[in-house]
Amino acid sequence: MQDRYKHCYMDIEEVKQRAGPREFGPTDDMPEEYRKAATRMIQFHANSEIMGAYIERPFIRQAPSLDRKLAVSAQVQDEIGHGQLLYRAAENLGIKTREQMLDELANGEGKFLNCFHYPLDDWYELPMIMFFVDGAAMRRQATLKRTSWEPYAHAIDKICFEEGFHIKHGESILAELASGTRRDQERLQEAFDKWWPRILQFFGPTDDQSTHSDFSSAVGLKTMGNDALRTAFLNVYLPKAEKYGLEIPDTPAVTFNEDTQRYEVEEDDLDWDEFMQIARNQYPQGKGQIDKRHRTQEAVEWVRDAIENPGAGSAAAD
Amino acid sequence: MIFEVFRQEQRKDYHVHVGNVHAPDREMARMYAQVMHARRKPAHSLWVVPKEEIAEVDSDDEGVSMGGLTQKEYRWATNYNTDETFAEEIEASQREQEEAERGREEAEAND
Repeated sequence: MQDRYKHCYMDIEEVKQRAGPREFGPTDDMPEEYRKAATRMIQFHANSEIMGAYIERPFIRQAPSLDRKLAVSAQVQDEIGHGQLLYRAAENLGIKTREQMLDELANGEGKFLNCFHYPLDDWYELPMIMFFVDGAAMRRQATLKRTSWEPYAHAIDKICFEEGFHIKHGESILAELASGTRRDQERLQEAFDKWWPRILQFFGPTDDQSTHSDFSSAVGLKTMGNDALRTAFLNVYLPKAEKYGLEIPDTPAVTFNEDTQRYEVEEDDLDWDEFMQIARNQYPQGKGQIDKRHRTQEAVEWVRDAIENPGAGSAAAD
Repeated sequence: MIFEVFRQEQRKDYHVHVGNVHAPDREMARMYAQVMHARRKPAHSLWVVPKEEIAEVDSDDEGVSMGGLTQKEYRWATNYNTDETFAEEIEASQREQEEAERGREEAEAND
C-alpha cells in the first residue's frame, strides 16, 4: 500500500471544501487539526463502547432467564468488539496508538458518555441503558454512516448492523416489565424517573454551548448537531415510553414546539454541574467504573506480556 | 507466484475479492490484475496481495467457530417484536440483518 501515498498535503480550507460522506481515508495526507478532531471523537466513541459493556456485564449473571442471559452476553461481547473496531479506526489517524488510548481509559484521562458513569442497581434499570441510551446512541450512529473519515464509517457499518438487535432486545425487557405486576411497574417508573434527566443529557449541551461542534461539522466528521439529534431521538422514544405506561416526569420540562416542530427541554432543569463533573471523570461513581476497568486491564497484563514477548516468562521462572 | 486481487468498483466502495493472477513479481502482478480485473469492468482501485501473505481461517478447521452451527435466534433483531414500529435506524439495521440471512440461505441452497 505504501506506494499509494501519493496524495499531497491538504490544508484545512481544502478539507472543508471537500468534506462529505466517506471522503477521506488513510491514503490522504490530512492536516493535524482534522486528525486530532477525528481522534478525539472516535476515541470517545470507542471508550464509550467499552464502558457501556462494563455497565451491562453484571446482568449476564443477574438475568432472570436463560434466553435473557444469552442475549445480554451476546450484547456485551458485541460492545467490546465495537470498541476494538473503533480503536482501529482511530489508530489509522496517526495521533495515538491503540495502547495509548487503552491506557488513557484505564488511568482516567479517557472520556466517555455521561450515562456510562452511573452503575445500575438492578434489572429494572437495564432497559434504561439497553433501550433508551442505546437507542439514543443508535440515532447518533446512523448519522455517522456519512462521516468524512472513511475508516470510521466502515466501523459504523458493522456497528449499525448489529445494534438493531440490542435495542429491540432492550425494548422487549422494557415491555415485559411494563406488563408485569404493579410492583414491577412501580420499580420501572422509579428507574425511569432516575434515568430520564441523564438520558436527556446524552446528546450533550445544546449546540450554542458545545465546544467542538463547529469544527467537526465543518470538516464533515459530525453530520448532525446535538439539538437535532435529541429532537429526532425524542420524536420516537418519548411516545415509546408513554406506550409502555411510563409517566414522563414534570421536571425536567420537555415541551413540543409546534412552530419549530422540535422538542424543547428546559435546560435549567438539568444538572449541568454533575454533567461537567462527569465530563472531567470526577463523578465518584464514574470513578468507580473507571477503576474497575483499570483493575481488569492490570489483571490481564500478564496475558498481553506473554503474547507480545513469548518466552520471556519462562526465563524469569527458571 | 499467485496474487489475490481485490477490486473497488467506485470510490468509497469496499474492496471485494474478485480472483487471482499468476505473475513472476509484484510489478507484473499489478499489471496483470489491471488487465484481468479492471479492463472490461472499470474499477477505481485494486489491491494486489501475495497469496501466502493472506491468513485463512476455514470453517471446517478444527477448533474454529464462526457462527451458524448453534441456534442463535436470540442474536437477531427479528426475534424481538414487542411493538409494530421502531425508529427508522432500528428498522434499517433489521433489514440489513434480514438481507444477510437471505444471503446465507441462498448460499446454503446453492451448496
